[in-house]
Amino acid sequence: MSLTLNIRGLATRLFARPRLPTPTTTTTARFTTLTPVMMARFDSSANTFGGKAGLAAKQKRTAKKGSKGEQRDPKMINMLKHFAILSPRRIPPPLRMARNRHLRHWTIHRAWLLFRRREREGRERTLMRQYQGMYAACEALRLSDGPGTRETGYLYRVAMEKKGVYGHHGVPIEYARPQTETPARTPWNHDWKL
Amino acid sequence: MPAPSRGRSAVSALLKTSTRRAQVCSQCRSNGITNTSSTTARPTPSHRTQPSPLSAARRFYSSEAAAAAATSTQPPPSGQQQPPTETDSPATTTTTTTRYRIKSGIILTRPPLLTRTLTPFESSFFLYQKRLNERLSAPFRSSFYFKTDTAADLDWRIKLKERHGVPAKDIGRYNPRGRMGWNDEVLVGSRTSDPAEVAERLVLDAEMRVSEDGEEIAEDERVPVERPLPRRTEADEKNDVRRLDRALDKTLYLVVRRGEGENATWGFPSGDVPTHENLHETALRVLAESAGVNMNTWFVGRVPVAHHVSDPVVGPDGTETPRSGEKVFFLKGRIMAGQADLKGNRHGLTDFKWLTQDELRAELPADYFRSVRNMFADR
Repeated sequence: MSLTLNIRGLATRLFARPRLPTPTTTTTARFTTLTPVMMARFDSSANTFGGKAGLAAKQKRTAKKGSKGEQRDPKMINMLKHFAILSPRRIPPPLRMARNRHLRHWTIHRAWLLFRRREREGRERTLMRQYQGMYAACEALRLSDGPGTRETGYLYRVAMEKKGVYGHHGVPIEYARPQTETPARTPWNHDWKL
Repeated sequence: MPAPSRGRSAVSALLKTSTRRAQVCSQCRSNGITNTSSTTARPTPSHRTQPSPLSAARRFYSSEAAAAAATSTQPPPSGQQQPPTETDSPATTTTTTTRYRIKSGIILTRPPLLTRTLTPFESSFFLYQKRLNERLSAPFRSSFYFKTDTAADLDWRIKLKERHGVPAKDIGRYNPRGRMGWNDEVLVGSRTSDPAEVAERLVLDAEMRVSEDGEEIAEDERVPVERPLPRRTEADEKNDVRRLDRALDKTLYLVVRRGEGENATWGFPSGDVPTHENLHETALRVLAESAGVNMNTWFVGRVPVAHHVSDPVVGPDGTETPRSGEKVFFLKGRIMAGQADLKGNRHGLTDFKWLTQDELRAELPADYFRSVRNMFADR
C-alpha cells in the first residue's frame, strides 16, 4: 500500500503540469473539486467538459474576446500559478514516519500534553487559592462589627455592592495593554502626574 | 443492598428527622448554629477539635446531641486556608466579645509587563512543530509576494541564498522537499530553537541589503535595524527596589515601612476606617495620603482579597490592653503609571519598596505574609 502511495506521489510531482491538464474520463468528479479559477485555466480545452454547455460557453467567450486572442493579465497568471500550487495535487502528502520516528513523535506529543496539563492545573490551583483568600476575608468581614457604632456585617454589605463598579470607565483603558516579549523603549513612566 | 430495604431505611430516616428535628436546613443543623449563642462575634476556631470525616458521618446519624454540645461552629470550607492567627487565641474570644479596630489596606500591584520566559521544552517543541508544518504545507512561492526584479525581490534572493534556500527564517537549515526531508529533528545541544537566536536571525533578516536602485549595499553602509530591548533593565542590574521598571515579567507589590530603627516594620499601606467610611473609600484615601497622588491606579474591586487579624495583647489581670486587636482588610489595586512618593505622608511612613513575591517573603513578618499570600498570582 505504501509503495503504491509513494509511486503515486512521485508521479504527481513529476508529471504535474499546471498548463496541461491530464485528460480524464471522470469529468463529473473533477467538476466538484474545481474552483472557478481552475475552470478558467481549462478554457483552451473547454471541450473536455463535454456537452452542449461547454460548447456554448466557448462560443460566447470567443465572441466576447474577438481579435484579442489568448491575452491575459500577468497578475491573473501569477494568481493562477499560485492556486495551481495550492491545489490538492501539489500539497505534500500526510506525514509518514517509520516506527522509531513515530514513537519519538508520540513521546513528544505526550510530553506536550503533560506540560499543558500541569500548567492548567497550576492555574486552577492559583484561582482556588485566591478565591479561598477572598472567601476567608469576606467571612471575617461579615462577622466583624463595623467601624465605630456600625452593626455587625455593615462593611460586608457595602463591599458586596456593585454600584459603579461596572459600566463606562469601569475598567481603565490602560489596563488593556497586552504583555510583550521585550520591553518598550521607556518601560515605565515614572513621571506621571495627576 | 436490595431496593426494598434501601427504601425502608430512607423512609425511616425521613420519619425520624421529621419528628425529632425542627425545620432547619441541613447545613445549619450540622454547623450547630441553633445550639450556640449569637454573642460570639466570629466563629470559634475548631481546627484541632475537628473530627475526621468518618467520625463526622457517624455523628450525623447517632450522636448528634453530644456533638452539637461539643462544637459550637464549624470552620468555613476554606479549612486550612484560614490565616493561623485566628486559630491561635481561642481564650480571647470564647469568654468575651473582643473589640477590634477595623483597618483598610491596599495591596498595590504592578502587573507584569512582559510575557514569561519560555522553558527550553517549550521553545524546542515550537521548533519541532514549525518543521512539521513545513513538511505539511505547500511550497513557498516568492513570485506571488515579490514582483520580479524589484529591489525587494533581489533582497529576498540574497537572503534566501544565505539561508541555503529555506524560506522560513526561524527553523534553521531544513528543506522538507529535498533528499534529506526526513531529517527534521535538531541534534542535542543545537541552539536553533533558542528564542534569543531566533530574535537575532530575525533582526539580521530585517536589514535591507539592496538599495532602491537595485544595487547591493555594502556591509558598512547598511542601515541597522533597531534591536529589541533586553528583558532585564538597568534597574534589574542595579537591583533598585524603588524603581518600577524592574522584574518586568513578575508582579511588583508596594510595601511601606512604618517607624524608624528597631521598631520599623514593613507592610502594605493601611489605615483606620472611620464610622462614616467604607473599606474602598478608606483605601483610596489612605493610598493618596501615604504614597501621594501621582500614581495612575485602579482598584480591582471593593471585595477584600486578604485580611490580617492581630489579636490584642492582654495584661496579666485580664483587663489591661497594651495593644488593641485590629483587623486589616486588603483591597487589590493596580498601578498603570507614576511612582510612589512618601513626602508629607500622614501615616508615619519612612520608606517604600516595590517587591516581587519572593522578596516579600523575606521582607514581611512571617504571620503577616501568611495572611496575605493567598492573593498572590503565579508570577
